[in-house]
Amino acid sequence: MGVLENKARARLFYKYLSKVYDEINPFIWNEEMRTEALDLFGIEEGDVVLDVGCGTGFATEGLLERTENVHGLDQSIHQLEKAWAKFGKNEQVKFYRGDAERLPFEDDTFDALWSSGSIEYWPNPVDALAEFRRVVKPGGSVLVVGPNYPHSTVFQKLADAIMLFYDEEEADRMFTAAGYEEFDHHLQGPSYNPEIAITTVATVPEATAEDEEPLAADD
Amino acid sequence: MKESLMDILCCPLDKQDLELEVVRRDDDEILDGRLVCTECGEEYPIEEGIPNLLPPDMREETPA
Repeated sequence: MGVLENKARARLFYKYLSKVYDEINPFIWNEEMRTEALDLFGIEEGDVVLDVGCGTGFATEGLLERTENVHGLDQSIHQLEKAWAKFGKNEQVKFYRGDAERLPFEDDTFDALWSSGSIEYWPNPVDALAEFRRVVKPGGSVLVVGPNYPHSTVFQKLADAIMLFYDEEEADRMFTAAGYEEFDHHLQGPSYNPEIAITTVATVPEATAEDEEPLAADD
Repeated sequence: MKESLMDILCCPLDKQDLELEVVRRDDDEILDGRLVCTECGEEYPIEEGIPNLLPPDMREETPA
């Protein structure tokens, strides 16, 4: 359990991280990786997409190249302020403050959902993944980019102390527990470290066991 | 936030419908107001045009 699993601490961490985030970000999650992930995501113009943990808006910018209907949610006002500086507050993107594990959206609201560089801070990743399944229409894509291992030594030490890292086996377990049946993992990274990120693309199933009426015991 | 977003928003706690109370608006843009859960009564502020739908246990005491 990392210290960021306390949400108040996560907020404080982000308050300071947001000051340098865009400067360190290109080293761990760059435009090339973003484009690769956007190709895997496979959205089309007109799709309504939610960016969970949009932060300073690096992924949001890429999503806007593919569709104009982008919604961004983040818990940190300090991160969002950076995003507003890029896109305006109420113009290109609809922004919300909210919690990934308790989304404030109706069922089947979005055509697709993207979340990059956020899962490592959620106390209960399976709860968030189940919420993603709920708010995305059946057949829609859910893309999650996991631990972007920082390149700078200082941030590596910090990351080792506070973040969740997971491998493909653990990703299988989390997505299955959250009710997904169809998903693929892709390892991504820059040439000097090609496997620092794990990108999972899942398809939201039509219905899951928990949505169905439990079968009566046959006794 | 645009009033049309009421169609997709719900209470993050019990997923029930929210009621919009407008304090300040500029055409179809809600600048200040509240979203109130029709079921549990929890209130979510709209501050400077941004709906704050963080559950109460994650809200900061003072606005940043």
